[in-house]
Amino acid sequence: MNAPSAPASQPANTEKSRLALKDTGPSGHKAGATRLSLGPLLYYWSREDTLAFYEAAATWPVDSIYLGETVCSRRRLLRLPDWLELAEKLTAAGKEVVLSTQTLIESESDLKALRKQVADGRFLVEANEWGAVRLLAEQGAPFVAGPTLNAYNPDTLALLGELGAKRWVPSVEMPREMLAAMAVPEGMETELFAYGRLPLAFSARCFTARHYNLQKDDCQFRCLDHPDGLTMRTRESEDFLTINGIQTQSAKVMSLAHRLDELRAAGVDILRLSPQSTRMGRVVEVFRALLNGDIAAAAAPEKLDKLMPGQPCDGYWLGEAGMAYRPT
Amino acid sequence: MPALLELICPAGSLPALKAAVDNGADGVYLGLKDNTNARNFSGLNFDAKSLAEGIRYAHGKKVKVLMALNTYPQPATLARWHQAVDTAATSGIDAIILADPGLMAYARKNHPNLRLHLSVQGSATSYEAVNFYRERFGIQRAVLPRVLSLPQVENVVKHTDVEIELFGFGGLCVMVEGRCLLSSYACGDSPNTFGACSPGHAVRWQQTPKGMETRLNGVLIDRYADNEKAGYPTLCKGRFDVQGETYYALEEPTSLNSMEMLPEMARLGIAAIKIEGRQRSPAYVAQVTQVWRAAIDAVKKDQAAFKPNPAWMAQLNKVSEGSMHTLGAYYRPWK
Amino acid sequence: MNLPNFPKPLARLVATLPSWPASRAFVAAGNLVAWPSLRELDWSHIAGRRFRVQVSDLGLNLYFSVHANGFRALRNGLADVTFTATAQDFARLALRLEDPDTLFFNRRLLIEGDTDLGLMVKNMLDAVELETAAAGMPVGMGRVVMKLRQLALH
Repeated sequence: MNAPSAPASQPANTEKSRLALKDTGPSGHKAGATRLSLGPLLYYWSREDTLAFYEAAATWPVDSIYLGETVCSRRRLLRLPDWLELAEKLTAAGKEVVLSTQTLIESESDLKALRKQVADGRFLVEANEWGAVRLLAEQGAPFVAGPTLNAYNPDTLALLGELGAKRWVPSVEMPREMLAAMAVPEGMETELFAYGRLPLAFSARCFTARHYNLQKDDCQFRCLDHPDGLTMRTRESEDFLTINGIQTQSAKVMSLAHRLDELRAAGVDILRLSPQSTRMGRVVEVFRALLNGDIAAAAAPEKLDKLMPGQPCDGYWLGEAGMAYRPT
Repeated sequence: MPALLELICPAGSLPALKAAVDNGADGVYLGLKDNTNARNFSGLNFDAKSLAEGIRYAHGKKVKVLMALNTYPQPATLARWHQAVDTAATSGIDAIILADPGLMAYARKNHPNLRLHLSVQGSATSYEAVNFYRERFGIQRAVLPRVLSLPQVENVVKHTDVEIELFGFGGLCVMVEGRCLLSSYACGDSPNTFGACSPGHAVRWQQTPKGMETRLNGVLIDRYADNEKAGYPTLCKGRFDVQGETYYALEEPTSLNSMEMLPEMARLGIAAIKIEGRQRSPAYVAQVTQVWRAAIDAVKKDQAAFKPNPAWMAQLNKVSEGSMHTLGAYYRPWK
Repeated sequence: MNLPNFPKPLARLVATLPSWPASRAFVAAGNLVAWPSLRELDWSHIAGRRFRVQVSDLGLNLYFSVHANGFRALRNGLADVTFTATAQDFARLALRLEDPDTLFFNRRLLIEGDTDLGLMVKNMLDAVELETAAAGMPVGMGRVVMKLRQLALH
């Protein structure tokens, strides 16, 4: 059940099935598996903790695992050879491995790292900006179009398909109606960010370093002290955002577990779960049980509640403020 | 001769356009009255009549008119963006500024002679990305996000034949443009799809006994004491509590002002300098255009001797957010 | 040159006025002077919305709404949006000498209530050309307005 199934075994990505969104009743689980992926690790953990996390992940019921540093080029406790070694191990453990590229490319050394990652060729690559798309297309390599490529319409998605994308990840802000209206090219899979703190913004500035009155070039790697980021509260003491180096995340945890039927109806093939420092294995188990029909979607929020590092939210999916939450 | 330090000024209305033209802009940029551009604020921007008049006025004085179509088209309303591209092509617009590759493909196919610029909202920070748009859609200019240091900009310039445009002055996005969803997280609307960050319908200002409060969909962005300068109601310029310390966790209310780097920008062959502020009044456009015209003329006359005139800087500070300015990421230690 | 401040004794006098007659006087003046150049604008989204202009240094509150045929004074004190500034700053805004955002950053202009309505009006007024507006004013008025602006600019 855990093995990645071929796209052909998925429910057909036809216009018809996508547009049937509104007619979908509480139909329980459908034929054809929705799969699970473990998104790229967005935080900076010690080498030991990172390796231990993936050693455990090898045993979790996820189908795909995304590896690599997507946030900050200064985070180098694991370098490309380490990630590749990890990739081999996880492949051997039966996982599909995808290498994710850095989202903000600033310097020539960033480009050098990107070129090496693309050139390796053993694994599928997730492109997180258009420079990576260019390099992958030049190489004729199939790739995953990451969430920051901003594919908001069928024309752009078709272009990505033409360039070699075999899977795409919509922007985390995309509502269900928009997703359902996207004409996904034949054979392209849809992977949706379904659990975790939302990556909302990227900057040249490091806000963790700023918090410690340090310059980015001399940040002393303070991110290591904050395995799930630093919480930003409003002046009314509401948890609002999370600082993670140059990335700003939500403080709330996006969770679409209770909306599994809607996800399937909108043509989502893969649910992306974003790593957190503790209880991640149990989060994966809840989602797997949900996909298997062992627990009902309505029961998921309660199961996940104790496992989350913050309050839940699902507003983006509903076309509302991202921080909103409507347990069905 | 290739373009060098063209002064590109904002126009949210016909009087603002005329103010830019009359005060020495080489080009003005504008948008239509809907979410096809990233300054979609109520009452702002151009309709068919003001567009025609604006183009007539600017072209009469040999000033170019660029149209920003720099949001991301969405499936249900794709036709609106296509129509906007057609409007630009038939109305005599000199170039359109796009962020979405799908829309570029449309423009290229239907209006092959229409000049394309890559918007800052396209988030291209490397020459690999810039060259992608060049090869694929023949873009002739790219506006770089306000996240690169000048040496990093230089590296882009060296590896592409696309003209590079940089922001010179105005509101400062701390985040990579096109990659910031803070606004939609709080209120549902982001620059990418709605065309505005912190749209008016979600903003509330209120004088309270504790100070003037700024809220976005109920979320307290900041509270100002009577003597404190205020900023735009954007989340990146608010004060928050991190580990018990309340401060501007992302950035102070401040504007970008890169004037002192003009000689370096001239040396790099930067094609154009963009002034931010389509949401602002004709008075702002007139003041800022005048100052930057003088500065660019001075740099072109004598790069080595150029120093920003203190009166210019004072004038620019006066209209800046929080009355402060920064070099932003152009100056590496800012990061 | 700056515009002159409102004379203190006059300010004290104005402050004693109840708002209804003041609103009526303001609306009458507005319909005479400004409306000819504003009537062309699309007021459909704004018709009937209630505005309050609070002139802080004069302690003066003006309540009115806008309709297809002009401004209308309002008697009760409820407003959808309130603009607060000094008489001088309002005058500078009206003459296009000052940028509203600049005044806002400096805490000299406050918009409370329905922000979107406030911004819409601000942007609509920005889109009116002052020369055109002056030309539409009663004889002599327009010339005075443009002259004032010129004086203040230099």
